[in-house]
Amino acid sequence: MSERTPVPPTLVLRVPSRTEFLALVRDVTRRMAELAGFDRPQAEQLSLAVDEAATNVIEHAYAGASNRAFEVLYEDRGSDLRIEVVDEGARVDPESVPKVDLRRYASERRTGGLGVHLMGKIMDSVTFHRTGRRNVCRMVKRKPGATGEARP
Amino acid sequence: MSELSVDRRDLEGIVLLYPRGFVNAHTVRLFEGEIQRAMDDRRYRIVVSGSGLKYIASAGLGALMGTIEEIRANGGDIRLADLNETVRNIFEILGFNHLYRIFPSEVEAVLSFREGGETGSPRA
Repeated sequence: MSERTPVPPTLVLRVPSRTEFLALVRDVTRRMAELAGFDRPQAEQLSLAVDEAATNVIEHAYAGASNRAFEVLYEDRGSDLRIEVVDEGARVDPESVPKVDLRRYASERRTGGLGVHLMGKIMDSVTFHRTGRRNVCRMVKRKPGATGEARP
Repeated sequence: MSELSVDRRDLEGIVLLYPRGFVNAHTVRLFEGEIQRAMDDRRYRIVVSGSGLKYIASAGLGALMGTIEEIRANGGDIRLADLNETVRNIFEILGFNHLYRIFPSEVEAVLSFREGGETGSPRA
C-alpha cells in the first residue's frame, strides 16, 4: 500500500449566476476565512474580495445571464488560504480593466475597475487565467504570522 | 430575503440616509435610488449615516462616486458618518477618505453643513 499525500481541506461551492446569491457566497467565505485562522475584520475583507470576483463573473463573463453557474473553491494550504472563482463565460481580459483614478472617476461618473482594484488591495496575490473554456480568478491570502511570498 | 433597507429623514434641508444591511451588486439600486430621490427633490446636502451599514462593495462605492460631482456642482455634498470598522477599512483601502468627509457621528456630519457648509472633498 502506497502512502497517500495528505489532501488539504477544500470546499467547492457551485453558485447560480444571480446576484441574490452574493450574500451566501459572502457568508461562506467569511466562515471559511475564520476557520482558516483569520480574525473577523480580515475575514470580512476576504469576503468582500470574493463578492467582487463573483460580481464580475455575473456582470461581465456571463453578461448578466441568470441561468448560468460559477464555482468558488476554498483551499486551506496551511500558510495561506487560496480561493478560486471559476466560470465558463466569455473570456475576460484583466489587462482591459482600467487603472483606478478616483478623482477622474468622480468627474467622469465612471466606476469600472473598482472591484478588481479592491481585490488586489485585499489579497496578497490575484491572478486571472483561462483554462480550456473556463476563466479562473485565483486569490491568495497569507495567514496571520505566515512568512514569505504568496504562492499563486 | 431583504438585505438592505434605506430610511430617510429630512432635517432642515439636510437629507439623512440610513442604509441598513448590505450594499452590493444585488442591492445597490435601492441605495442609488435614495440618493437620486434626494437629488430629484433638489436636496444636495446628504449625510449617509452608516451605523446599520454592515458592508459595502464596489457597486455601492460606485453609486456614491457616480453622483458626487453633480451634488457638489449644486453646492451640496455627501458626507458619511458612524461607519463600522469593516466599512471604514474599505473606504481607506480605496482612498475614499480623501474624496469624502467622514465623521465619527451623525451629529458632527450634520453640524459640518451648518458650519459654513463648504463643499468639496476633504483637504489634505
